[in-house]
Amino acid sequence: MFSEATEMPWLWAGLAAYALAAFYAFRGIAQQRVLAAGTRSYEGLVLLFMVCGVVLLAVSLGVRWVRIGHGPFVNLFELLVSQLFSLGTIYTLVYWRLPLLRPGAIVSLPIIWVLGLWVLMIEPKDAPFPPTYYNDWLWAHVGFGKIFLAFSMVGSGLAGVILLRWIGWFASWLRHLPADDVLDRYAWRFMVLALVFDSLMLIAGAVWAQDAWGRFWSWDALETSAFLTWLALGGAIHARLAWNVPIRLGAAFILIIFVVAFMTYFSTPFISEAVHKGVI
Amino acid sequence: MIVFRKLLSSTRLTIVGMALLAVGSSLIYGNPAEVPVWVLVAPLSVLAVNLVAAIATNPRINRRPGLLMFHIGLLAVVVLVGVGRLTHYEAHVEMVDGQQFTIDDAIDVKSGPFHSGNLDQVQFAQGPFTVDYQPMLVRGSTRSHIRVRNEKGEWQARVIGDDTPLVIDGYRFYTTFNKGFTPVLTWLPDAGAPVTGTVNMPSYPLFDFKQSNSWTPVGGREIKFWLQLDTGLRQDAAWTLDVRRTGSVLVVNDGDRRVELKPGDETVLDGGRLRYEQLRQWMGYKIFFDPTLRWLFLASILGVIGLASHYWRTFTAVHAATDKITALNSASSAALTNKG
Repeated sequence: MFSEATEMPWLWAGLAAYALAAFYAFRGIAQQRVLAAGTRSYEGLVLLFMVCGVVLLAVSLGVRWVRIGHGPFVNLFELLVSQLFSLGTIYTLVYWRLPLLRPGAIVSLPIIWVLGLWVLMIEPKDAPFPPTYYNDWLWAHVGFGKIFLAFSMVGSGLAGVILLRWIGWFASWLRHLPADDVLDRYAWRFMVLALVFDSLMLIAGAVWAQDAWGRFWSWDALETSAFLTWLALGGAIHARLAWNVPIRLGAAFILIIFVVAFMTYFSTPFISEAVHKGVI
Repeated sequence: MIVFRKLLSSTRLTIVGMALLAVGSSLIYGNPAEVPVWVLVAPLSVLAVNLVAAIATNPRINRRPGLLMFHIGLLAVVVLVGVGRLTHYEAHVEMVDGQQFTIDDAIDVKSGPFHSGNLDQVQFAQGPFTVDYQPMLVRGSTRSHIRVRNEKGEWQARVIGDDTPLVIDGYRFYTTFNKGFTPVLTWLPDAGAPVTGTVNMPSYPLFDFKQSNSWTPVGGREIKFWLQLDTGLRQDAAWTLDVRRTGSVLVVNDGDRRVELKPGDETVLDGGRLRYEQLRQWMGYKIFFDPTLRWLFLASILGVIGLASHYWRTFTAVHAATDKITALNSASSAALTNKG
């Protein structure tokens, strides 16, 4: 019924919509510099393009799902497209519901676009669906993981704004945005929320691994990397409680944690020869 | 004493413990044989002591129900993992179609010093199985037919495979990729009673090219043979591993003589006759037992619920405070603009 040629234009259109959202986010921040604070007409456009991007990617994923008979869980291409969809969806909801956090879009949307560029360089190959993937815990594991990464990305967006203000050129761009301490508080709120979903992801993954491979934990590459991410996140939250960590250092912690989480998702499963590498 | 208690419950010790655990986790990656388990046990012990002290003395934890629940959950997970390692049991077993499981069949046994269970009372019998393959030998579903004896002593048929293990008395039997064919052979000595036995051939299709083995019947001499199989296997097409669709020829090497036997055929060898009765299959199972599994799940879920509830309470408070600050800032900006 469908071919590769059917799903790709939807993907490209979705990425174009995300690119336009990022463009308007930057343009809006630049305009705000010269206009009065509180002028936020651009935000409607950013939201509109984000919604368009999410819908177009949903169509692309749906068409592929019908064509190959399984969800986007197996190879890197599928993982990237589904992340583009889930990160976009959760970020759009946050952008819509929490106007105070919208400036973070100038960091979060380019992060999404890194995945967009990456997916354009990968061949959209089909991959067989392993029998152990017909397990309901897969949905819980993957779902919680996506929420974790999205909330980390929101936190990183705000941390990125704090750090960008350090750079003279950006400082004038971003001076109308909420104060660092406000952004800092929200960024850490999202990181604690990310810890909740990271924990749920690990639990669901352990239950699935017990069913699929007869052990709930085996220190394979992905499990080790995911546990280190959880430790880094927990350690950073405790460090912030134990010491009076300067806001910029805290923001740097957040970005480092996001990078570790990003590596866990997008490189560890595909460089490891262990069982837990995406295709069994 | 107070200083010592403060040190034990301090958040800084938590961070040190976490850092050590991160190092230990990195070292234990891939389970290398030369790395001792102490790289995990030591930091987990530090963290456990730290958690107990913090839960007991730190009002920031024990006066906040959500955080208290989270930290108790974490402590329970650490303790349960330790108990699990002391009481666990892991092994492998190769079951031939028609064979009934006994504890003596278990191989590669690894168990904790305090393991105690009823594996000797587990009763199930192997039946036939099938494994689907997609083109390029990508493994699909495994359907292993077994019979399990229930409390009334009746045999009940079940199908297990992939992510559906057989669970009896806490012991979990998982099918594995390790499976193959088994010729059933009978040795009819010139003098004495016939002996029937099975010989598990190397894993199939992994060792499709190497289906050779040998058998030494009780009181007989070693017989070397290899198995010529017609399973219908094709690299470029979907295929199902199924003994009922498999043709076989047992090729016996008797010195310089080569004899081909089909199921039911026999040949005369030095000291007696060898009969190739039939072809069966064997399935390799992984056995796993950990009495803490259910409790680990419960403890970790309760911990996360505690963290989530703490988050909810704190976030709603901070959200309201931040909104207030933002509103005040906006009001002062507006006032300044009006003045200007």
